[in-house]
Amino acid sequence: MPSGSTAPAEVERPETHEAAAPELPWLVIVWNDPINLMSYVTYVFQKLFGYSRPKAHKLMLDVHYKGRAVVSSGPKERAELDVARLHQHGLWATMERSG
Amino acid sequence: MSFRRRIRPARDGGYEVRLGADERELLSALPLQLVTLLDDVGERPSSELPEILRRLVPPAYTTDADAERSFMSMTREDLLEHHRDALQTMSATAKANWIDNDQLVGWLAALNDLRLSLGSMLGTKEDEDEPLAAQTHPAEWIAYMYLGGLQSEIIDILEETLPDPVPGADDLVPDDLWGEPPGGLRWDGTPQPRDP
Repeated sequence: MPSGSTAPAEVERPETHEAAAPELPWLVIVWNDPINLMSYVTYVFQKLFGYSRPKAHKLMLDVHYKGRAVVSSGPKERAELDVARLHQHGLWATMERSG
Repeated sequence: MSFRRRIRPARDGGYEVRLGADERELLSALPLQLVTLLDDVGERPSSELPEILRRLVPPAYTTDADAERSFMSMTREDLLEHHRDALQTMSATAKANWIDNDQLVGWLAALNDLRLSLGSMLGTKEDEDEPLAAQTHPAEWIAYMYLGGLQSEIIDILEETLPDPVPGADDLVPDDLWGEPPGGLRWDGTPQPRDP
């Protein structure tokens, strides 16, 4: 695989600032809840988003100790899909526009 | 310690299930009770549902009622179907001595759904060893604790089956949008301001 090709498409930035302001991305937020097991939340983050175990664990700890964490971001349709997948896994997820 | 695993990988890629008759009875009957309750959900917003069902159909938008209605009409039926599939899978295979990987994934989802329902009904709170409900609803409390133990075992097993992490995925969101780590990247990839 050529170097540089691993940059995820989702983080590509607009080429210029000339055009109409690009739509602000949406943030997918998972909220703390007293029922879901910590190990389960970590597992779901790895399964749904392809995060490494340390990253998923860190996000889970943010949820647990800070009450919420942003687990993904992107266009509205993408965020809705992620929220729906998190709901299917029983996590308490919402979305809001960044900024 | 001679802790006997109740579920363990078998040589053929499936899983051996070693449970007592009373456990199997519970895992067969309880999911069907929740499936019956799910019939009442329909398109009602989660805030209008009884506590026992609310956590199974959470809202996506908390401040935009129109957006939430549209999200719900797009996703609600799929979500309910997902819950029903998992619950019916566990119920139908609760008495089997061997289950395949898809069925074990169904068990995990079903156990989580049951715990969300029972835990909400019992009013489970964070870091509370034994809520009041343990006295008022002892049977439900014991079931809730039992299901959590079994779920933990299944998570340990399924964690081993996860595919390798996606390259670059870890960098898509910051570790902490609301501050930490200083000097790291913010959610949009711009640098976090450093302390002067």
